[in-house]
Amino acid sequence: MIAIDFTLNNRPCRIEVPAHWTALDLLRDGLALNGTKYGCGEGVCGTCTVLLDGEPVRSCLVLASRLRDRVVVTVEGLESDGEPDRLQTAFARAGAVQCGFCTPGMLLSARALLAANPSPTEHDVRAALAGNLCRCTGYTKIIEAVLAAAGGR
Amino acid sequence: MRLHPFALAEPESVAEAVEILARLEGETRIIAGGTALVPTMRLALVTPDRLVSLHRIPGLSQIRMDKGVLEIGAMSSLAALARHDVVRSRWPLLAEAAGRVATPAIRSTATLGGNLCYAEAASDPAPALLCLDTRVRVADSVGERVVPIGEFFTGFYDTAVAPNEMLTGVSVPAVPAGARSGYVKFCPRSAEDKPLIGVAALLVLDAAKRVGEIRIALGGAAPTPMRAHRAEAAVKGRELTDTVTRDAAEAAAAEAEPLSDLMGSADYRREMIRVWVRRLLLSLGSGS
Repeated sequence: MIAIDFTLNNRPCRIEVPAHWTALDLLRDGLALNGTKYGCGEGVCGTCTVLLDGEPVRSCLVLASRLRDRVVVTVEGLESDGEPDRLQTAFARAGAVQCGFCTPGMLLSARALLAANPSPTEHDVRAALAGNLCRCTGYTKIIEAVLAAAGGR
Repeated sequence: MRLHPFALAEPESVAEAVEILARLEGETRIIAGGTALVPTMRLALVTPDRLVSLHRIPGLSQIRMDKGVLEIGAMSSLAALARHDVVRSRWPLLAEAAGRVATPAIRSTATLGGNLCYAEAASDPAPALLCLDTRVRVADSVGERVVPIGEFFTGFYDTAVAPNEMLTGVSVPAVPAGARSGYVKFCPRSAEDKPLIGVAALLVLDAAKRVGEIRIALGGAAPTPMRAHRAEAAVKGRELTDTVTRDAAEAAAAEAEPLSDLMGSADYRREMIRVWVRRLLLSLGSGS
């Protein structure tokens, strides 16, 4: 077991974790934050995406020990005071969620995009979400939702 | 699904890391970003007894210019390289190739050192680094040695780095004045895939529009990333006319030694090398 301290969704977190656990193992099984999904386990599907120091990473590929002293945001960290953030609201309004399995990763990839580029073009949105697979929506409504959130609507 | 258990070492200096590697206990693997290693561990293709993680070694993710030479630490992420202002302005070929690897959430984690040590034949950064005459720095418990990038890839997923050594960084010399460069990758399935074949080129045209300096490198064209020396010879000293670019493309296709796999046959790879070498040279010849 190794001890790590890090910041999780704006709160300090100190926990012991087996050395062979990934960040995803820690979030889901160590901390019961089940918003982050286990999809392919190989970094391809994108549903396990979380933010590490503001950058999107695949939590299924990152060892838990890598979180030490860093800042992690999961989908549970998007809302504030029980209110969804503007991306979550935009996804709901646009009908960008069907089965919902890809949504946590979509939201965090989109969050990273808007932090780096507050006024993205449709091409920017497509490039940012290229690693997040959705088998339901055909992507159109997801892209509309991110553009709407960027436009403040 | 958990990874197979392993012991984890997190050294805080290169000296400490190579000391651990020198013990050669069981199967030890270095983990940098983990974007290549973790999936192979997930599939139990490798089940190391021990991982040596480099993420706590200070300075290994530095990117800086020293006397005109670009010094890149082994743990620099591909995303950091792709967005770095100095890399983008002075070594645009490298920024372009690093920015074409996989997807944003992979580039944020994947490292240049890891990309080189994994030695994927269809690596995006490798052809760029081959064109840039990169020197690879490798350390063991005795000291450091420098391996020219042309001698770094020794075989299918194999490199010049010995089990008791680690890659600490690469040095990229200044690009010749007036150089034009570009990287193209052909992905038959989706844009975030590794390429079926990739082509990088860097060239300098003289006042008469003849090719002076020329470097062409290929990914996915052989068991390792490779320089296309015969294609270079076909254009050196000539104007980039339709005929000359065709000759270069033929030479590249002839000197390639592609493998067949689920992504495409050797014949198809050879044909696509022919197409994309020519396209890249034509676009560099017509560009300003």
